[in-house]
Amino acid sequence: MANNKEMWLQKAHKTIDELHKLQPKLNAVVSFVDVEKQVDEAMDKTGPLAGMPVILKDNVLYKGVRATASSYMLDNYVATYDATVVSKFKEAGAIIVAKSSLDELGMGGSNITSFTGPVHNPYDLSRIAGGSSGGSAALVASGAVDLAIGTDTGDSIRKPAAFCGIVGFKPTYGRISRYGVIPYASSLDHVGYFTREVKLAAEALMLLSGRDDKDMTSISTPLENVVEVLDESLANKRIGIFKNVLDAIDDEDTRALFFDLMDKAKEQGATLVDISMNSNLIKTVLPTYYIIANCEATANHSNLDGVRFGTHEDGDTLEEIMTNTRTKGFGPLIRKRFVIGSYGLMDENQELLLKKAQRVRRKLVEATEKMLESVDVIVAPASSHVAPKLNDPSIDQLSDKYLVAENYMVLGNFTGYPSITIPMGMKNHLPLGINLLSKAYDEKTLLQIAFQLEKLTGLKGLKAKVEL
Amino acid sequence: MERISVKKVHQLAKQLMFSLSEQEAKDIVNEFDTLLSQLDLLNRIDTSDCEELVYPFETPTTFFREDVVDHVMDVKDVFLNAPKAENQYFVIPKVVKDNGE
Repeated sequence: MANNKEMWLQKAHKTIDELHKLQPKLNAVVSFVDVEKQVDEAMDKTGPLAGMPVILKDNVLYKGVRATASSYMLDNYVATYDATVVSKFKEAGAIIVAKSSLDELGMGGSNITSFTGPVHNPYDLSRIAGGSSGGSAALVASGAVDLAIGTDTGDSIRKPAAFCGIVGFKPTYGRISRYGVIPYASSLDHVGYFTREVKLAAEALMLLSGRDDKDMTSISTPLENVVEVLDESLANKRIGIFKNVLDAIDDEDTRALFFDLMDKAKEQGATLVDISMNSNLIKTVLPTYYIIANCEATANHSNLDGVRFGTHEDGDTLEEIMTNTRTKGFGPLIRKRFVIGSYGLMDENQELLLKKAQRVRRKLVEATEKMLESVDVIVAPASSHVAPKLNDPSIDQLSDKYLVAENYMVLGNFTGYPSITIPMGMKNHLPLGINLLSKAYDEKTLLQIAFQLEKLTGLKGLKAKVEL
Repeated sequence: MERISVKKVHQLAKQLMFSLSEQEAKDIVNEFDTLLSQLDLLNRIDTSDCEELVYPFETPTTFFREDVVDHVMDVKDVFLNAPKAENQYFVIPKVVKDNGE
């Protein structure tokens, strides 16, 4: 045990040194965390996470440490309790070394809206890491840590995983407790994480999942041992190729990498099946998400008012304090989203906007469930392109490419089904990912197939080299 | 659905307890045009035969626990992040004025 202490302390300090070196390049860390006490308490732990330095996205509460959600509104907020996922890390002996940057309040897909500035992609510093969990993604991709927590409300783990060439996993909704995680949209939020190999993702799930009475959406459905069965072959597995998404992707390199991998899967005995949903329905994913997410976020963050916690601006009246605090505390993207959310919540608009979106959500979930009736997983490229440049010009937000290919993964949030992105190849030295979605509670099949596809890609452990 | 106005955007912001610059408000109005086009896609889907889906799963979740004190937050933690606190109260300007307003 004394050996563990010295070894783990060295490992943690080495990781922190590495993070400091990377910080001027990636800008992915918000706060560093003291490790000495953690190592003392972890000394007698065993298991795959024991002594492992890990990172928390900065919307996860760790008692005594700042939790900013990358918003100026919470710049000075110190967590007063541990999130359940932190308690689980402590039980497993993991050592939390830092809190990572995110899009402000988890609301974004680029990680350029953090109040600490944009996160840079470790493969190309002039590109985004993706969001909202870009900080965690960049740090795992750089090799500084093997495991970092993220959250996924509208593909916010699975898209940055693709842009950073790593594994990004979100299990079934409620599988990992959201207690102690600053919410964005509670009916869509999932806790998940990044690794550089599927096996570690499976091992972490066994340790981080479980019913938590402090989170009323936490599920009681037991989890099978997903690690022991990883090596089941692809023979007799049915892989559904999401045709709507492939039809919306015109990038030849992306298509070539995807179909090459599918051919290899077929050679291993998998059956490939083209599946699709109504083309009008799939185009509603983004606006449905936008309405539901912004309405829920507006309500969730009405408690950020400068009175009980968070940054505070003075005023002569309570209303002035709240207005001054919230004007200065929120970035422009958040203010815009709250206006949209508030518009959807207005009595006269709820039927046409929020309730309509919630009914369309049911249609989307039913259609996804139907697609999965005949296959084990649905697969498609996680994005039609590599990570965009930080100053990319705006794209056509009404195109099929944007509506379908860039946003279909939100189906994983609407349905709550488990989903994972793994690297599938490189284009001009930049990674591209493939996304898989399986039935509710069926992380076992999802991870098995992901593990086998990972073998076929040869990209297990892929790491970016950041020039320091 | 009608196009939103700059005035309406400012009204919504006021209700949300923050203010917007004129440029911000105009940008939001312009974004609404795109949003309305996207929302039009929702109207093409017939949802007359279904209810709203509020959470991913509709499995009821209820549980009872023993009536014992649990999960208590120390009062010092309650006020740890308070901008202004005194004698275990959060301090704010007087809301009810002396004339009863």
